[in-house]
Amino acid sequence: MKFTRRELATVLAPAAALAQTSTPPNPPSGGDAEVDAARARMKANGDTLAKHAVPMDTEPAFQFRA
Amino acid sequence: MAAIPNDVFFATIGELNARLVAKEFSAGELARAFSTRLEQLGPRYNALALGLAQPARKQAAAVDNDIKIGRLRGPLQGIPYGVKDLLSVANHITTWGAKPYATQAFDYNATVVEKLNGTGAVLTGKLSMVELAGGGGYRLASASLFGPGLNPWDVTRWSGGSSSGSAAAVAAGMVTFAIGSETSGSIVTPASFCGVTALRPTYGLVSRHGAMALSWTLDKLGPFAHSAEDCGHILQAIAGKDGKDPGSAGKSFYYTPQYARPMKDLKIGYAPVDFADRAEPSARAAFQAALTALRETGVQLVETKLPQFPYGAALSAILAGEEASIFEALIVSGKVNELADPSQIAGLKAALDLPARDYLKAMRLRRLIQEAYTKLFAEVDALVTTGRSGGAPKADQPLDGGPRSGAAPAAAAAPAAPTDPGFNGIIQAGNLAGLPALVLPCGFADNLPVALQLVGAPFAENTLLAMGTEFQRRTDWHRRRPAGL
Repeated sequence: MKFTRRELATVLAPAAALAQTSTPPNPPSGGDAEVDAARARMKANGDTLAKHAVPMDTEPAFQFRA
Repeated sequence: MAAIPNDVFFATIGELNARLVAKEFSAGELARAFSTRLEQLGPRYNALALGLAQPARKQAAAVDNDIKIGRLRGPLQGIPYGVKDLLSVANHITTWGAKPYATQAFDYNATVVEKLNGTGAVLTGKLSMVELAGGGGYRLASASLFGPGLNPWDVTRWSGGSSSGSAAAVAAGMVTFAIGSETSGSIVTPASFCGVTALRPTYGLVSRHGAMALSWTLDKLGPFAHSAEDCGHILQAIAGKDGKDPGSAGKSFYYTPQYARPMKDLKIGYAPVDFADRAEPSARAAFQAALTALRETGVQLVETKLPQFPYGAALSAILAGEEASIFEALIVSGKVNELADPSQIAGLKAALDLPARDYLKAMRLRRLIQEAYTKLFAEVDALVTTGRSGGAPKADQPLDGGPRSGAAPAAAAAPAAPTDPGFNGIIQAGNLAGLPALVLPCGFADNLPVALQLVGAPFAENTLLAMGTEFQRRTDWHRRRPAGL
């Protein structure tokens, strides 16, 4: 089935609008050297944490109660 | 109107309250004198966020009436105090030290303020702080709506942060005590740099309701004062269960110096390297003298090693995860760019990208850290180390020792770190495990205050306060005041 450009726009517009409202805009990245440096430090911290083994049955230090 | 003698501005809570009850001066005269001093001296150190002279006068009038009819409420009655500007005071501006929040106000008091009001203490002002308590990571002392916090001992030096104004206000006698907060070092650091006694309570002992949240699981509110004994009185007033704080431990605190165990029965773990190679050279003599004074209280000092964990990485992950969620709207809207410190802005933006895996790993490590310190405190009653390794840094230089943007790199390389880590990481460890800490001024390095830091088991504040009181009976560093004040 062939769609006209007008019909395609009608179908796609709500999806595009939904994508814009449901996904928060990305913070500025690339070209912002300080943010990149902060991300690199965060990744380095993550790598440090990954090296530290934790027994499988260790739960996080917070607790939800109904 | 009775002239208020200058020594009143540096009196302890007990000394001041006794003179009030003896009617040497009225609470109104005292409030007026302290409010005037805060408004005159506060700007010199960028310590004042908001003067509350008018409401203080009304509070003081009520205190005078109470004293007149014999309704005595306890040691804090009539005592002038200030609060860090992350605590809400109903219908007054609460800026969180940050431009994006410069005009915000809440219509309720923080729980801590309500409790202190109930004791008859007189709130004279809100005190400056590092913007958003510095959680995004800041490099410059100027990371504040109010400008760099300046040190009453040397105005070219930083007062420390993020509770900059709270420490400076007590050090300069602008308030008798102040309430600050700590997520990772924000009570210990400014107290050490400004030469004041301060207490970081156990997590959950003091309600966080009405305080800006930086990290739900790391934030604690605590007092800055002229003595360990004063900290005990204040903690008793502000501690307690609060259903409005999901992190409330549900416990009260009663300051009971009369039940303190004999000092000779107490063991304090320490690492000698902290007071020697890990300390700045100019501070080592002061730290050694302080250790001697601590030994003279009768406590046993026992060489101890800290449990080994990646404290810095764990705390950073937890802080990043929680602060990014708390300040998500600020970051996503772009208003984060209004903050003063570029590192803070960058850190908050980056924090949105923290993987859940890292946050959860850090929180699981945290449970292991708590278990390790429970074992440690079965062997010793407290740990002692330095508050910071030396005196306050220069306020116009990057706080991490790096170059300012565009400036030439530092000329000389830093000396190699000692191989023995000592108690390196204790500030992060103490905050991760929710442990209390007491900061005790202990001397000077190049005319700048330095301090000891005692760390205890959860809810062992009375033990720390007893050790601190004995130490302060034998020393007078906590009673010294900056020249000319």
